[in-house]
Amino acid sequence: MPNGRRPLQDGRQPPFPVASYDEAENGEVDHMSTLETNKITKIYPGTVALNEVSVSFESGKVHALLGKNGSGKSTLLKIFSGAVEPSGGQVILDGAPMKFHNPGEAFEKGIATVYQELSLVPGLTVAENIFLGRMPMKGFMVDWKRTYAMAQDLLKDLGVDIPAEEMVYNLSVGQAQMIEIVKAMSFNPKVLQLDEPTSALAKNEIEALFGMIRKLKKKNVIIIYVSHRLHELWEIADSCTVLREGHYIGKAPMQQLTRKDVIQMMFGDVEIRTRPDDLTVADEVVLEVKGLSRRNKFQDVSFQLRKGEVLGIAGMLGSGRTELLKSIFGADSFDKGEIYCNGKQIHTPTPEKMKKAGLAFTPEDRKHEALIQTASIKDNLCMASLDLIAEGSFIRKNIEKEFVERQVSDLQIKVADVNHQVSSLSGGNQQKVVVGNWLNTNPKIMIFDEPTRGIDVNAKQQIFQIIWEQSRKGISSIMVSSELEELLEVCHRILILKDGQISGEFAPEELKIDELYALSMGGE
Amino acid sequence: MKTSTSTSTSTSTSRSTKTPPLLTLALKKNLNKHVLEIILLVIVVAMAFASSGFLTTDNLLNILRNMAMQGCIAFGMTMVIIAGEIDLSIGSTVAVSGVIVGLVSGKLSSSGILPIDAAVVVGIIASFLVAGLIGYFNGWILTKYKVPSFIITLAMLNVVYGIAAVLSKGFPVTTFPSWFNVFGAGEIFSIPIPAIILLAVFAVILLIMNYTKFGRSVYAVGGNPESAHLSGINVSRVKIICMVVVQLLSALSGILLSSQVMSGSFNFGKGWEMIAISSVIIGGTSLFGGIGKVWGTFIGLIFLGVLINAMTLLNINEYVQYIVRGLLILTAVLITTIQLMKKRKS
Repeated sequence: MPNGRRPLQDGRQPPFPVASYDEAENGEVDHMSTLETNKITKIYPGTVALNEVSVSFESGKVHALLGKNGSGKSTLLKIFSGAVEPSGGQVILDGAPMKFHNPGEAFEKGIATVYQELSLVPGLTVAENIFLGRMPMKGFMVDWKRTYAMAQDLLKDLGVDIPAEEMVYNLSVGQAQMIEIVKAMSFNPKVLQLDEPTSALAKNEIEALFGMIRKLKKKNVIIIYVSHRLHELWEIADSCTVLREGHYIGKAPMQQLTRKDVIQMMFGDVEIRTRPDDLTVADEVVLEVKGLSRRNKFQDVSFQLRKGEVLGIAGMLGSGRTELLKSIFGADSFDKGEIYCNGKQIHTPTPEKMKKAGLAFTPEDRKHEALIQTASIKDNLCMASLDLIAEGSFIRKNIEKEFVERQVSDLQIKVADVNHQVSSLSGGNQQKVVVGNWLNTNPKIMIFDEPTRGIDVNAKQQIFQIIWEQSRKGISSIMVSSELEELLEVCHRILILKDGQISGEFAPEELKIDELYALSMGGE
Repeated sequence: MKTSTSTSTSTSTSRSTKTPPLLTLALKKNLNKHVLEIILLVIVVAMAFASSGFLTTDNLLNILRNMAMQGCIAFGMTMVIIAGEIDLSIGSTVAVSGVIVGLVSGKLSSSGILPIDAAVVVGIIASFLVAGLIGYFNGWILTKYKVPSFIITLAMLNVVYGIAAVLSKGFPVTTFPSWFNVFGAGEIFSIPIPAIILLAVFAVILLIMNYTKFGRSVYAVGGNPESAHLSGINVSRVKIICMVVVQLLSALSGILLSSQVMSGSFNFGKGWEMIAISSVIIGGTSLFGGIGKVWGTFIGLIFLGVLINAMTLLNINEYVQYIVRGLLILTAVLITTIQLMKKRKS
């Protein structure tokens, strides 16, 4: 098979190398390829992001690359993908030193990267997205028959059960993620970097993705896998490479490590906390939801929230959890049901009304729903509390300053200057800004939708501490997370939301994590 | 003694080697920040040498007077653009408000219902009302049916132009008492009244955008409407108010214009939306919303005004002026965009 090209099913030669996944079974594995770095260093003004890091990744394996925010792991990914040029040291692919000036060059040499943010065009079909800019032609016209045949072929090879004619906007996030990987693999890369591929996926989607990654391994690809979800690493990764504060800490086979080992490598010494004992729940009901329903989203949801209580809602993606929270907060409408705050019914809620009633809501999608990226950290911290920092119509700069400083110090937000754009902060610090924005409104009830999404373990612990601290002050919280172990750690009480209905209520002490997952997913 | 001198010389040398780069850095930063102001300054200085008539009080006041009417609209447009919207219909509002003042005052006084002076006041109120309604309509369609403001106001540009033409039957309306000329042509301490009104509008909009809750929510709504909504800000209300404000300011301009020329015509205000939008954009406001400065619009206005004035003084052919103006708008926008890109990178 010259050039690694492989005829399509109908015998025609594709115009570019098409990945083949049955070669491994046929025993035609190429020689093993390796991606190495030799004392790679990246210096930014004021910080050393990578300090003489030497690592090596072999093909046919999934290599977990771990480190908290600021550990240098993102910088390393960017150096491999050509987005960042190193200050010193070398990248070596199959023994040859590489020098990439832009992502295009890295891509040409066979390093493909699939980022957290998806880059598919929603208005095009799956096949068009995969072959964007390089569709097979028949004269001046696109050869649609071949385009779809080739795409279907690729999809089948990777075991992805999505029709090539499907429009991308009809796909779920998980399906789009898989198409993104199929697209990357259609270039037949030597290295595939996956940056947080599961952060937005539900459990069953993760299973499908893992099935696909296992197939990729057989194709002799070097897979570099970055994830904040530690527990999934034992399922998918073969080795684990850890960076901390720009230094290489170590690399070990995944199966030889325990969760504790990995955390030890990532953070040095950090204890994993459980819910403190001093958090008490009063009898007073601060929020009551009665028979809330929204067509095709959730049905007949009823629960009570007590003063100081931290209530968890366990639900997979598609369970209606985000829709439920948004309806309670008035951001979306609902068809039936009643919402009572402190015993008083709120008719046709809007975010404005609910804010006045003492509710606060931190959305799941930090970038698009919670923060104003064009505005400063300062402005983002006072967005919900504009009424409180103003006298009449005019903003009082001294009150504003007080509000900003209070959150920066209480929440330990790491900022150089509060006038910088909020987008300059790390994910964890951005999340703290979102929380701080709402704490400034003196809320009685905080609603957290996936508060720990895409932030490191340390920042997660800080968010939990904040939730507990609010509980001590008598502020109640509702928290949704798809990482159910977090709910066990944080909450007083857990409701299970499945297919839009509450199917159970438990105290965290009554449940083990696998039981909770089983209950939320149902069936198995 | 000896040691102390040696240390003092060593510190002084280290300081002297350190100071220049720091100074140039600070200078460079400031240069970057105020590049538009600097270019403006260069033009002014160059013009002072090129034309003796340029740097005179009369001419400078003339520039302000010439930009005053479009300028009032530009400040409203700044709010609209920061809120992430646009209003292309303002030129027609300029026309219709002059026509309405003329018609209402003419009809009321000729039929003997009101004396002409009171009738003009009623006419002015009527034109503000109509402009406010147009703005409310734009904002309502925009927020209720999520139609892009570009399209709504493009449609309204035609509708309102048509209304102005129908109302005036295609003829200029000239039923104004002579004192009405004061607004557009009068002076206070030899400063043209339109210039004073421009500065007042500038001050008020600056105050609103920089120091009030409402101003802050305009930035929020333009930066990310979803986040603003989920922060409990009434996004629709903010957008509608912005659309109304720009229309009211357009009516103000229309009244000033008809006062200046003592006539109202459906042909007034043609293409003013482009001048207003240009000065906003030259001033560094992003068409994507959320980013912008009222001060920038002021500089943008002066920039355009000085440029047009300079070219006229230098006897540059009117058609060539269009070319230069267009290219300069593009250059100014490129400068601000490149700066923004650099900022993003660092």
